[in-house]
Amino acid sequence: MTRSSFFFFCEEIQPERLEWLKECLTVPERPPSGPPDDNHRVHCTLYLTGDTLFSLIAPASRQAWDTIAGSAGVEIIADGDELELHGITPLVTSAFPGARIAGGKAAGDSFWHMVISRLALNKEGMRMAGFLLCHGPYISRVPVFALRFLESALLRGISPELYAYLDGVHAVHTGQRPSEFLNIGKEISNLADKAVTSGKDPWFSACSRCSAARGYYLQNPSTGICESSSCISAMTIRNLKEILGRFPYPHPILSHMCGGTAGTSPDESPGLVVFITKTPYYAEWTFGGISLAVAAAMGGIRTTVVFIEQGVYSVVGTHEVSQGDRIFNVQEMIMATGDVPGLNYVAYTPSLDKRNIKIEEMFDMVRPIHGTDLAGIIREQSESNHTRSTRVFLF
Amino acid sequence: MEQNEMKDFTELTCTNLMIKLKILLNRTPPGEEIHFFATREQVDNTCTPFTSHGYAVECEQSGENRYIVQIGKK
Repeated sequence: MTRSSFFFFCEEIQPERLEWLKECLTVPERPPSGPPDDNHRVHCTLYLTGDTLFSLIAPASRQAWDTIAGSAGVEIIADGDELELHGITPLVTSAFPGARIAGGKAAGDSFWHMVISRLALNKEGMRMAGFLLCHGPYISRVPVFALRFLESALLRGISPELYAYLDGVHAVHTGQRPSEFLNIGKEISNLADKAVTSGKDPWFSACSRCSAARGYYLQNPSTGICESSSCISAMTIRNLKEILGRFPYPHPILSHMCGGTAGTSPDESPGLVVFITKTPYYAEWTFGGISLAVAAAMGGIRTTVVFIEQGVYSVVGTHEVSQGDRIFNVQEMIMATGDVPGLNYVAYTPSLDKRNIKIEEMFDMVRPIHGTDLAGIIREQSESNHTRSTRVFLF
Repeated sequence: MEQNEMKDFTELTCTNLMIKLKILLNRTPPGEEIHFFATREQVDNTCTPFTSHGYAVECEQSGENRYIVQIGKK
């Protein structure tokens, strides 16, 4: 028996991330009873594009990639167009002859067609595909990747869904006029129009909290009700609860760094695993990740938050927000939500050990986990021993 | 007292308001309440459910879609 899972990466990957990924992918499956068995292996596809591709040729990452690429059941698919953009196709093909190059000068399907074919078309009755967009346009190519994915979905008859979150809401701004780059606002509008014309039902939404913070959702002083402002008409501003209301459907949802496991029970809604990988306060990632996780759990989605890499600093020491600094204390968020049903907090011990730190004693709701536990969280088994679907997002 | 200042939480999401209220209530000494402005949706979805967790919740309309909410231990 194998379980089908995937990871999709488009940002730079440091060796530390490859180490836990390697740990997850090389753990043999645990059969319904008894010890792990080498015959029960994982089938996992790694879809790599953008800056992730550089890690394939980075000397510091080589050993980990060699192990991953040599693992039974692991397939690597690299974006040929991006490899050619960066001029590293020959380096990657000579380093990893087993890696499949899709797109670029390679014959056959483009990378994005392959992604959508594997993730969506193999699922019976799949009608939609989504992208959780957390990056703004132009400073990042992630919106371009989101559009390529959703356009490929539409070409295959699948309805596109876009969920703009954190800086991703900048994609909704009207009047974008980049001189050199793909106009993201215009392309989102075009995609929505094409979807409607072809009889599909596109669902493009931006998070109301993130939109209000960035000036796209203003309170009308006479009614007290918030209204969208300077937004393209293709996008609707909705609260996070409504956006997360799409997540229990079984369609694939990609993000800049994500993954998932296909469950064996088609009727069960996917669970959510949120990796907190960054320090708590420098950017909005930690707050955004925990907020999304709490909202998901409160919406009935079983959710696990994994503090890993630099994210372990959220559960270390005692954070004190100085008076006048208007910021959510991340530790208070964790403490206040430890009793939310269906929400679990864990911290990855190797990340703590690497930094020579420990989980603060007050966090009795945060369970320390090891590499094998991490694989079990991503490829969760139910009490009746069937594989549960999970969505994995890295913040 | 910080708890007695009238805070405006109308722009918080229901999830973040829930987190904020739990943090504030944890810090509030016995016998004291917290007071704040909230919207109708926040009152219904976030504030009222605190009644089933040992808190007394009262609200009074102060404007269109604007309510003064008081929460304290029962």
